[in-house]
Amino acid sequence: MSHAFDRFIAAAPWPQRAGLRLLLALVRRPRGAVLLARAPLLEQAAWAMLSLGRYDDPALGRALGWDAGEVVARGRALRRAEGRP
Amino acid sequence: MTDTLDADVCVVGAGAGGAVAAAELAEGGARVVVLEQGPRHDPDGFTARPPEMLARLYRDGCQTATVGAPPILLPLGRGIGGTTLVNSGTCFRTPPHVLERWAGEFGLELDEATLRPCFERVERALSIAEVTPELAGANAAVARRGAERLGWSHGYLRRNARGCVGSGVCVFGCPTSAKQHTGITYIPRATAAGARIVTGADVRQIVVEGGRARGVSARLADGRSLQVHAPEVVVACGTIHTPLLLERSRLGEGSGQRGRNLALHPATSAFALMEEDVNMARGVPQSLYIDEFAHEGFMFEGAAGPPAYAAMVLPLTGVRHSRAMSQYRRLAQFGLMVSDESRGHVRFLAGRPLIRYDLCAADLSKFRGGLVRLEELFHAAGAREVYLPLTPGVRPQRARLRDLKLMAFHPLGTARADARATHGVTDGDLALHGVAGVHVADGSVVPSALGVNPQLTIMALATRLAFHLLGRAVPPWADPIHPDPAQPVRPGARVHGTGPLTDEETPCPS
Repeated sequence: MSHAFDRFIAAAPWPQRAGLRLLLALVRRPRGAVLLARAPLLEQAAWAMLSLGRYDDPALGRALGWDAGEVVARGRALRRAEGRP
Repeated sequence: MTDTLDADVCVVGAGAGGAVAAAELAEGGARVVVLEQGPRHDPDGFTARPPEMLARLYRDGCQTATVGAPPILLPLGRGIGGTTLVNSGTCFRTPPHVLERWAGEFGLELDEATLRPCFERVERALSIAEVTPELAGANAAVARRGAERLGWSHGYLRRNARGCVGSGVCVFGCPTSAKQHTGITYIPRATAAGARIVTGADVRQIVVEGGRARGVSARLADGRSLQVHAPEVVVACGTIHTPLLLERSRLGEGSGQRGRNLALHPATSAFALMEEDVNMARGVPQSLYIDEFAHEGFMFEGAAGPPAYAAMVLPLTGVRHSRAMSQYRRLAQFGLMVSDESRGHVRFLAGRPLIRYDLCAADLSKFRGGLVRLEELFHAAGAREVYLPLTPGVRPQRARLRDLKLMAFHPLGTARADARATHGVTDGDLALHGVAGVHVADGSVVPSALGVNPQLTIMALATRLAFHLLGRAVPPWADPIHPDPAQPVRPGARVHGTGPLTDEETPCPS
């Protein structure tokens, strides 16, 4: 997981932060995943967090047709060219 | 060490309400100080990568949540621009039937004619215009195709964007500065008119003496104290935090309504696997609405984003999640928003807001109906598969509260306006009942769910409040490039204190 994802978890209020770390620890382990499967909404929450980190990988994004770097560069060029804030 | 500022008006918060009030007041000649708890965000630091932007631009890293059945994630912006920095930019005027309800139920004299100049002024200032089909992108085209085949009422949304190229990351910081959030529209106007903007200022208390506002006390990011002396205070901390500041200041408690009447517009979304490439993040994520069922209390609006966002929201797990994400290019998404009858409340618990909200049976019924219709929409558009935000195996008609996966984007009502002091926290002019000189200009005064995105309503009400404080009628429009010469500009607030106030423009950490 990236530093950005770590900062995202760290920014949560402490009850959620503790809960998210627990969910992530569970979903990454086979026995934990089996346990989570008994609580579908918790399992979805765990997958949501896991996926947010995983699909933030620029290489994976580009493979799926999304290039964050290109979007940012275009934005910066437009702002400079047109004097936007 | 305490710094001191003198002003005619102290505005607490620089979001939809506070920034608008500050700019109009400053341009009208008032000495204005704006205190904002968060930082100023530099668009050069926007990376279009969701986890980083969620952590940086949102309060609590976008993980503020309600307690109740079901728990609801409640994203709130933090910093100059407030939630206008991270919303989708959708702008609706307050629906006429809502204004009629406010008149009848809350005694508010806010009819269409009264608010029209306020709306026109804001719409001009924010360059509000309808999204074009080309800019809306293929995700909107999927929903539009479904709506047309079903004969459902729909249209392109009006947004506060200028020169938008459809970057697809409105809620993660617009990289082109096309979205006209208050941080790049009203705040610069306020500053140009002499207003002082202090970032990193955590307002601890509104100071009231003899039944009249005297200013506020705040704590700065470096630990120093700041006192702002002002006979008028405009509170605009947002629906969750305004009642908490009032509570800390022991204000607004006469009616027993402070912190109550919380409406949220709870929402969810569904995904569909299409035959064609959609590339949902190319185009304006929220560009189309379907209001066929508005009379039943729910509406559909666009939603979309880059892979990390889609992966987070996609209501699947395990192999099914991975398989669907491998076909991200062909995924479409659309949102369902409920005009809620449920009501929650906000109060302090261990120094943090405790937001209690339970979905009532009527709203559960709206979600059931809405998800049935959303599935129908995608199938009409030609979807191969539809992924609903429910517990696996549960059909919408039989969904229970615990089966729903919800978010909410429009908290309203916790300092609701009501002409009667026994029923509301603020009056029809948004002044706090029972004390002179304290006003509220954010979503907390909105006394009922709107059924549509609220930012334009909040801005129009803030405009009305500003001109009310200036003692003038609202002029019909504003042009930030060519200010109305009839509105004089005065220098900003004078600074007194024991040392220089290193206030301004705390840069966003990169």
